[in-house]
Amino acid sequence: MDESRRIKEHPIFGITEEKKEVHFTYDGKDIVGLEGEPIAAALRAAGVMVHRHTKKRDEPRGIFCAIGRCTDCVMIVDGKPNIRTCVTPLVEGMEVKTQYGVSDRPAG
Amino acid sequence: MNRYDVVIVGAGPAGLSAAIEAAKNGMKVVVFDENSKPGGQLFKQIHKFFGSKEHKAKIRGFKIGEELLKEAYDLGVEVVLNAIVLSLHGEKELTVKVNDEVRHVKGDAVIIATGASENMVTFRGWTLPGVIGAGAAQTMMNLNKVRPGNKILMLGSGNVGLVVSFQLMQAGCEVVGLVDAAPRIGGYGVHAAKVARTGVPFYLSHTIVEAEGTDHVTGVTIAQVDEKFQFIPETEKHFDVDTICLAVGLSPMSQLLKNAGCKIVEDPKRGGVVPEVDELGMTSIPGVFAAGDVSGIEEASSAMIEGRISGAAVSEYLGYITKEELEEKIKVNEAALDSLRQGMFAPKNRGKLVEKTDEGIDVSMNLLKKGFVADEEIERFPGVTHRVGIHPVMECTQNIPCNPCQEACKKGCISIGSNITSLPIVVENSSCINCGMCVASCSGQAIFLVDEDLGDGMATVTLPYEFIPLPKEGTKGKGLGRDGKPVCEAEVVSVKNMKAFDKTNLLTIKVPKEYAMKARFFKAV
Ligand SMILES: Cc1cc2nc3c(=O)[nH]c(=O)nc-3n(C[C@H](O)[C@H](O)[C@H](O)COP(=O)(O)OP(=O)(O)OC[C@H]3O[C@@H](n4cnc5c(N)ncnc54)[C@H](O)[C@@H]3O)c2cc1C
Ligand code: SF4
Ligand code: SF4
Ligand code: FES
Repeated sequence: MDESRRIKEHPIFGITEEKKEVHFTYDGKDIVGLEGEPIAAALRAAGVMVHRHTKKRDEPRGIFCAIGRCTDCVMIVDGKPNIRTCVTPLVEGMEVKTQYGVSDRPAG
Repeated sequence: MNRYDVVIVGAGPAGLSAAIEAAKNGMKVVVFDENSKPGGQLFKQIHKFFGSKEHKAKIRGFKIGEELLKEAYDLGVEVVLNAIVLSLHGEKELTVKVNDEVRHVKGDAVIIATGASENMVTFRGWTLPGVIGAGAAQTMMNLNKVRPGNKILMLGSGNVGLVVSFQLMQAGCEVVGLVDAAPRIGGYGVHAAKVARTGVPFYLSHTIVEAEGTDHVTGVTIAQVDEKFQFIPETEKHFDVDTICLAVGLSPMSQLLKNAGCKIVEDPKRGGVVPEVDELGMTSIPGVFAAGDVSGIEEASSAMIEGRISGAAVSEYLGYITKEELEEKIKVNEAALDSLRQGMFAPKNRGKLVEKTDEGIDVSMNLLKKGFVADEEIERFPGVTHRVGIHPVMECTQNIPCNPCQEACKKGCISIGSNITSLPIVVENSSCINCGMCVASCSGQAIFLVDEDLGDGMATVTLPYEFIPLPKEGTKGKGLGRDGKPVCEAEVVSVKNMKAFDKTNLLTIKVPKEYAMKARFFKAV
């Protein structure tokens, strides 16, 4: 996995505390994230930018507010649509899918 | 339905301070906050705060949050997290969603301290993944420890844009530029200067034309704008970036109060749509108070004081303290609030071009336009003097409510006086012992220790350094000017880090003596 986006050391926080790794899938692909971190953080660390496509114009959307307000980051998690991935903690074995409108497949 | 003496919405500095004051007076207090961590804006802030010692200045934001929280817990305040207050209605009843459960609570009094939310701007491509709010950038890097992007353009030069740009660099991101449509930098000069000296260019009177990319941001084009904010043709500049960060202002989150039927006014000096409040923070509904950014965008320091005032006011409102006791508390707090609301960035000066400092010195125009004080301007400020031997140089040139430097120097070399917004001056006949406390305590990273002449044609400059990798003794490189451009050869001769410096390293570089008053940053080569 591309880990280059994780901050391993920081001038103020020092060395980042190790957390338990968990496996989950993103559109069927296996990805490793850290237990309890927001799903969106695990995806960004893995270089995933697009979380959903809008219903009307099929435009891509990704993290915007990161605090659960804008709903740009919603995805299908374990079969449930409209899950705000920026405030939903990652759990081992989660199935995360790109959301198209409100379903898991592009229209047409 | 659960009943409390006072229900507080928002666990930021205002809400927690209000809770502490009310609990001290013997009230039963609950605080709800929608986040999973208390502290409001504070827990995302990793820089040392402005203000005075009483307002926890020079302590890093997240630590201030932790301190307030501990104080609240020790007094028996109940803090409920992951709890979003959906409405306030009727007889001070609130509907709260805690995790997935909806609860109803009632307070004899209510304090709304919901803070502010980020403003947005639109431009072509603004919805592309990779365009994020400044708060989101902070959440990702400072809480989740994930870099939001690798190459970033910042839009907005207020304190948030400046502070977050610096934090992005601390997290290891590259900031390619700071852009603002206004002709002048909106935030504190010292915040701008610490970004500028690392080499980040400022583009004032510029804004974003377009965010480029099909699936996510791969670049951005900016262009210059005229006084009417219209693009000037052929001034476009392109940058390859993967992230565009927006820091275009905050608006008070007064929705709850509005829906509850409080009188609301539009007041640009307070930052937008705010509740009408009396001097105690009481809204048009008796027993419902507002404190902090929700009733006017300011600072954590003022939010804490407003919180304390409203905490005292509810105590009196419900008979827990007497009118006399309240008046006593208000007198102290109002005076503190008043002293903070002075200077260039005071609410009354919002949007105005202040051309002279309170001391009558011409403000640096270069600082307002480019983010750094020009070499020919710096000498006119009272913090910049020449002495034999090591001495402090305070490049703090605007009247801001801040004074940790004065507090830090036990040798009495630095003075601000009783007026917290005055410029720091070097005290005549004082002698500096090179302890470094002033450099480490300065929230604006604006203090340098300079020995202008070592006798061998060289000089030393000690500067604050909060980046990794930390250069080592003997590291050779370039001395950078205030504009971030290399000006001379430089060698690190000492690196100091003590517990009292609180993670600010003191880097001493040796430079040719002509550059003693020019070199202000170090870059290893
Ligand atoms: C990048 C940045 C740098 C800053 N630097 C400084 C500095 O150096 N010095 C300084 O003094 N100030 C600084 N500030 C300003 C300072 O952080 C704010 O002025 C201060 O936090 C305001 O406090 P508050 O309690 O009013 O609101 P906030 O801190 O915003 O807290 C409000 C809380 O209420 C919660 N909330 C809102 N609505 C609801 C609801 N309906 N239900 C439940 N909870 C809700 C919010 O989520 C939040 O947690 C900075 C701000 C930013 C963004
Ligand atoms: S280095 Fe120490 S003695 Fe010298 S001015 Fe700073 S705080 Fe005072
Ligand atoms: S020099 Fe003093 S007043 Fe100026 S930013 Fe630093 S600590 Fe604050
Ligand atoms: S990014 Fe806004 S709700 Fe998740």
